Amino acid sequence: MQRYSLDHKRYLTKLRLKNFSCHLARILLLIILVAAWELCARYNVVDPFITSSPSRIVKQLGVMISDGSLFKHTWVTFYETILAFGISTLLGTLVALLLYSIPFVRQVLEPYLIVLNSLPKIALGPLIIVWIGTGTKAIVVMGILICIVITTISMLNGYMSIEKEKLLLMKTIGANKLQTLLKLVIPATLPDFISVLKINVGMSLVGVIMGEYLTSKAGLGYLIVYGGQVFKLDLVMASIFVLCLMAMIMYFVVALLEHYFAKKRS
Amino acid sequence: MENLLELKNIKLIYHSPKSETLAIDDLSFSIKAGDFVSIVGPSGCGKTTILSLVASLMKPTSGEIIYGAKDKSIAPGYMFQRDNLFEWLNIWKNVSLGLSFKHRKTKENVAYAKNLVEKYGLKDFMKHYPSELSGGMRQRVALIRTLSLRPELLLLDEPFSALDYQTRLAVQDDVFNIIKSEKKTAILVTHDISEAIAMSNKVIVLSSRPAKVKKIFDIDFDPSLTPFERRKQDNFQPLYDLIWGELQCKDIP
Repeated sequence: MQRYSLDHKRYLTKLRLKNFSCHLARILLLIILVAAWELCARYNVVDPFITSSPSRIVKQLGVMISDGSLFKHTWVTFYETILAFGISTLLGTLVALLLYSIPFVRQVLEPYLIVLNSLPKIALGPLIIVWIGTGTKAIVVMGILICIVITTISMLNGYMSIEKEKLLLMKTIGANKLQTLLKLVIPATLPDFISVLKINVGMSLVGVIMGEYLTSKAGLGYLIVYGGQVFKLDLVMASIFVLCLMAMIMYFVVALLEHYFAKKRS
Repeated sequence: MENLLELKNIKLIYHSPKSETLAIDDLSFSIKAGDFVSIVGPSGCGKTTILSLVASLMKPTSGEIIYGAKDKSIAPGYMFQRDNLFEWLNIWKNVSLGLSFKHRKTKENVAYAKNLVEKYGLKDFMKHYPSELSGGMRQRVALIRTLSLRPELLLLDEPFSALDYQTRLAVQDDVFNIIKSEKKTAILVTHDISEAIAMSNKVIVLSSRPAKVKKIFDIDFDPSLTPFERRKQDNFQPLYDLIWGELQCKDIP
């Protein structure tokens, strides 16, 4: 252990105190919000039929856990999200690689990419249902459509920003195109790939929930739409809560992955 | 001695949608084995372009580049302004990167590269990553990476300009000694006149664009002197003034 001066110890204590108060404030904020919501609903300041309340959400979750529906719907959404996430990330990256390796194709397709990127993908919903039908397939396709264009554009930007000098270096030490790809382009753009994963975790969930709004017989998106239609706001709130948890966990997994690679590099 | 490299009447035109630029016109010079030649010239005169031509990264519009090496399959080694080490590879993997291409990862080549690493004080850092090394050390790794492919000719493209002044002087000595003890031929492109005098036995002064050879200076120092020691010699400053003057005077069309 290094021995610190008194000043440094004071500095460290101050720093710790600041971090601690930040954490404390976060937790307090949550407690206050939940408590206020609960109290307002209980003493009829707001109508719990419209706003639901934390205790009603917990009760609703309890019912859904005991009849197994919670697990079933969560699994359906999770499964669709993972499929959309995996397929769009893989396909988007491959398309970006292809565009990167063939400049002429890239030049030709550039305006199309820009148009596709600004198109609100939800507008394609009816087309998807007509062409692919209803159900899981359509939902996953919706999720893929949301993610794939932004994946392609982000990865292409990453590939294009590799330093010219490094590419020249590979040429001067005799690397061919494939070797340059494997030894330079892919490892150099790993940080870009990780940030694409982070974006896609959120985006694929958006796509899948949108897909479930369009057409579904199960899933958290289905529960939210159904709950809204029959005015079971407890069900809507409980589903949103589970959705939050799921998004958090998926983001956390990607963050872990990022941490792993960052550690490996330094 | 036989020429290792000869450039004959090189002409190069750069094309862009709006204009064409005559970058190099009727450029000729030759380099003998064991030479350390510096090319200086006004900025933007096409010094780096000459190296790209020699490394055949680019083709001249007209003219000839005759490469008289024994083994013509080995391209010249290229050293850039920045070290361009791959941060995700450790030092040994960076050094041996070139060996994995073109089936050069023979036992003999690996042993040669390992020997270089040991000889030039990088042995303890083989498993380290580039971010753990100082700027001077990194540039040394970059040189060893270039040397591991055993080029006869080294092309140095302002390899010291990204370093701070003190490090630059040390790394100049370092690179000079390694190149001399490995008996390589080198072409150094630089905008730093004193660097050119300190390191080379021949300084080629180029005119502003289109680049032509304006004058060639033979630099004659005791071969045992390091670049740093050369800077302290009596004839260093007069040489500097001569080359400085040559760079200043306007070209006569």
